Amino acid sequence: MYFEDVAAGDKIPVLTVSVDETQMFFFSAATYNGHRIHYDKQWARDVEGYDDVLVQGPLQAALLSRALTDWVGGHGRLVAFSVQNRAIAHPGQDLDFGGVITGKRDGGLVDLDIFCRRGDDVLMPGTATVALPKRDTS
Amino acid sequence: MTDSLVDAESAAKIGTVVAVATGEVYRRDWQRWAAAVGDHNPLWFDADYAREHGYRDIICPPLYLQYAILGVAALGDLRPDGSSGAVTGSMAFPKAPRRMAGGESTTFHLPAYHRDEVEMVRTVDSIVEKEGRSGRFVLVTWRSEYRNQHRELLAEASTSMIARPA
Repeated sequence: MYFEDVAAGDKIPVLTVSVDETQMFFFSAATYNGHRIHYDKQWARDVEGYDDVLVQGPLQAALLSRALTDWVGGHGRLVAFSVQNRAIAHPGQDLDFGGVITGKRDGGLVDLDIFCRRGDDVLMPGTATVALPKRDTS
Repeated sequence: MTDSLVDAESAAKIGTVVAVATGEVYRRDWQRWAAAVGDHNPLWFDADYAREHGYRDIICPPLYLQYAILGVAALGDLRPDGSSGAVTGSMAFPKAPRRMAGGESTTFHLPAYHRDEVEMVRTVDSIVEKEGRSGRFVLVTWRSEYRNQHRELLAEASTSMIARPA
């Protein structure tokens, strides 16, 4: 992927993931996260009032970052990454991770609006900047 | 009569350093994290590939850096909801005990490598009470800097948390 190959309005390939409880367990383990709302259904329902355990916000962010770093390739670089947790997700739901290029800047920088969506619901909006190599210098 | 969700002890922490944490960046740990994300990018796993792409070795995934500095939590010190408050300066918000991550905004300057010693310094940027669709909540924002053993700035992050009344 090169800087010259992309333009404002381009969409990056969408990554679709249905997170299950095994993945949530491993992500909590890998991030040393003991928060019960991610594994204790009774706590999530009876104490916090949710329908089920919650997919970790940082896992959604990590999946979104994966969509970006897969797209830019080994010569590209994630420069800035910003997301907001707007709505919750439960395991077993199809989540879409993607983005749209909003502009290009000097230094090989490409700005994007990024998202995690469930259907038409935006669960996690954000912005990102990636650096892409230029053809003539590589 | 004020009925703020923000207790005075927490409010007094605005602008102060609430946590300094150090940790070693360890490739097996970031690879376990990447595997849990289904992220098998060869930059995190394959040294030859990483060298072919301008790095001296495999690199830590940018979003993993925030976990490299996590310490050890004694089970008896956890909050009732199982979370550890250590990295956020143990801010409690007794009137708003239901907590969830708000968002994160990070600028990445340099990659971290295996066995880098990273230091995070976290400051409370703001604590504000807001009114949302599902009622009142507290929005806490922290700023963090991550530096390696050479004092090079690896990343600057702004992180937020939402705390709601029970």
